[in-house]
Amino acid sequence: MSALKSETHRQKKSAKQIIQGVFLSEYFILIMSLIYFVCVIPLAPRIISKSNLLNLLSNLWPLLVIAIGQTFVLLLGGIDLSQVSIIGVTSVIGTALMSSSFDPAIFEGTPLWGWLINENGGPLAGSAAAVPVSICVMLIIGTLIGLFNGFFVAKFKMPPFMVTLVTQMFLLSFAIYLTQSRNIMGLPESFSAFGRKSLGFIPYAAIFVVVIALAAHFILAKMVLGKWIYATGENEVASIVSGVPTKKVTLFCYAMSGFCAAAGSAIYSARLGMGRPTLGEDIMMDIVGAAIIGGTSLSGGKGKVIWTLFGVFFFTLLFNTLNLFNLSYFTINIVKGLVILAAAFLDVIRTKLMTRMSIVNGAGV
Amino acid sequence: MKKRVSILLALTMLATMFVGCADKKSEESTGGSSGGTSSTSSNDDGGSKTIALCTEDLETEFWVAAHEAIVDTLEEQGIKVIETNCQGDANKQLEQVKDVITQDVDGIIVIPKDGDTAVAVTKEANNADIPIVIFNRPPTSDEGANITVVCDNATVAEACVDYMVEEAEKKFDKTGEKLTPLIMVGDLGDPNAIARKEGFYTAIEKKPEIFNEAIEVPTEWDAATALANLQSAVQATPDVDFIFTSSDFLFPTIQSVLEPLGKWVKVGEEGHVIMGGLDGDATAGELIDEGMIEGTGVQDVYNEADLAISGLLDAIEAGETQPDEIREDPGFALTQGNLKEKRMDMWGNVIREQ
Repeated sequence: MSALKSETHRQKKSAKQIIQGVFLSEYFILIMSLIYFVCVIPLAPRIISKSNLLNLLSNLWPLLVIAIGQTFVLLLGGIDLSQVSIIGVTSVIGTALMSSSFDPAIFEGTPLWGWLINENGGPLAGSAAAVPVSICVMLIIGTLIGLFNGFFVAKFKMPPFMVTLVTQMFLLSFAIYLTQSRNIMGLPESFSAFGRKSLGFIPYAAIFVVVIALAAHFILAKMVLGKWIYATGENEVASIVSGVPTKKVTLFCYAMSGFCAAAGSAIYSARLGMGRPTLGEDIMMDIVGAAIIGGTSLSGGKGKVIWTLFGVFFFTLLFNTLNLFNLSYFTINIVKGLVILAAAFLDVIRTKLMTRMSIVNGAGV
Repeated sequence: MKKRVSILLALTMLATMFVGCADKKSEESTGGSSGGTSSTSSNDDGGSKTIALCTEDLETEFWVAAHEAIVDTLEEQGIKVIETNCQGDANKQLEQVKDVITQDVDGIIVIPKDGDTAVAVTKEANNADIPIVIFNRPPTSDEGANITVVCDNATVAEACVDYMVEEAEKKFDKTGEKLTPLIMVGDLGDPNAIARKEGFYTAIEKKPEIFNEAIEVPTEWDAATALANLQSAVQATPDVDFIFTSSDFLFPTIQSVLEPLGKWVKVGEEGHVIMGGLDGDATAGELIDEGMIEGTGVQDVYNEADLAISGLLDAIEAGETQPDEIREDPGFALTQGNLKEKRMDMWGNVIREQ
């Protein structure tokens, strides 16, 4: 009788351990996404249609690359609110360079007229190198803005929230000023293809983002720089004492954030087929929300590129299904907000649980 | 072990996706981008139609009325309506249009974020061979095929400002002082905003001798931006006495700036600022009735909703997947001069009476 009790107890314990294992697993969000995906199929069968899956993926790439940049800053315990405006500024400048024509009646009053753009388009109009050069310029500008943010955070210890909020406001106004609120059209077909077409069955945008994601993963997982980033986010003072160049690390992370925002801007602009000063203005919650849902901690020192991928996947999937359910926009926003709140709450619970378990294990209980 | 389980789960998901892709026979037929005239696929429930209404925002009375008119009319006809709202985000609007296309809708009505976004969403609908209506904000280029329902904004704005200019002339004759006109300009990415601005200038340039140089206040179609910019403009030029707002929804903003200055007074009273707008909403109707403003240009929202729905349904019936036409709402100006005859032709007043 007592042996049977002990066996039942062992079985119960093992089920509890499995649930606990899943809950504490770094793949928790992926598992949740898969369960959610499978559960939604009977309710909205269109979710597995080819066109919907292609939509889902095409919405995933730009958000993923931007969220990867945000992950670097979150790992430091910071935040980059300027990403949304970097998207707008780089969208305007990059597309202005390659656009094939500008209507003088609309653009003559803009500060770009005459020296950068005219009725015959931007300086790279008609050139075979227009698209790659313009994208490179976008990436360089994004990186420079990131370095600017990083400089003020690292050098003057200014709160990242304040620095990037100011940059966000400044850049948004600057982007609107550059085109006087006009959108830039007349982009080369090859640029639109970058956002809409595929190489075989793999979209160009996917290739672009996967390369950046792999590089980001390599930096965080394999390089000393990655260890420095985690260490700085975990405990900056201890990192300084240990010889970690925390200022350079901070500069790098913000530069990476700006670079990734510009990469996302290139994809968004290509998909829309236009440069917009207000592009990305409203996606801050999506970026930070996706990173947090993936498991990246707002307090720094915890996060991975693969987690951000899971978070972005879950977030994109959730938004896609809410649209398929034909819910009103305010219901969608309420659900999105609640999911982000739940993710932040779960993060706190998981961290506490892991700390308690490590104490228990450490005590040899 | 955990990694293996996760990889297995990921593979399962990918397999599910590919099965889904393979299973979707009907998708292939919509993959092309040719301008064919094959009829759109019918829905699972057989025969009944599904129309998607993709709105930009429901911040102003005009959009609320348009939304209600379109949804009610469609539902009265037993048509299923799928609604999305991009909250002013062009990129999200494109994603939403792509989403509704995957739901095999028979037609799409879009209130686009702006004229450029109208071009982008038209391209998506054309690629999927689904007829699309661009409601009230015309595309900035004639690329692609759509039914554009639009009010003649330039003419309506001109008609309203013409009446304001008549009143200004009377004031000039009385005082001998030139008036300082101000225009609240909408988002210049929106062709309607550009047309309204053109209408304003066409009207005031008919009497250049009675006006100083016009002041332009950018609003981006945003009340907060409009408030900040109008306050700055009025502080810089306090003698503004002629205001045209490119949309009626900004009248409360104008009131909040003029009232503390003692300039929010009725027509004919000392210090009155000659004012007009465009849209024809309930607020403007009330202000005209109270004698606070000279008039407003009226877009007939109900007529535009009818033009959109009938155009789309006709195209669906005829099996046209890429109809290409412009349907125009002539509009008119409701002023203190024609208030008695035209009052109930304005949709804002109809709503008030209801």
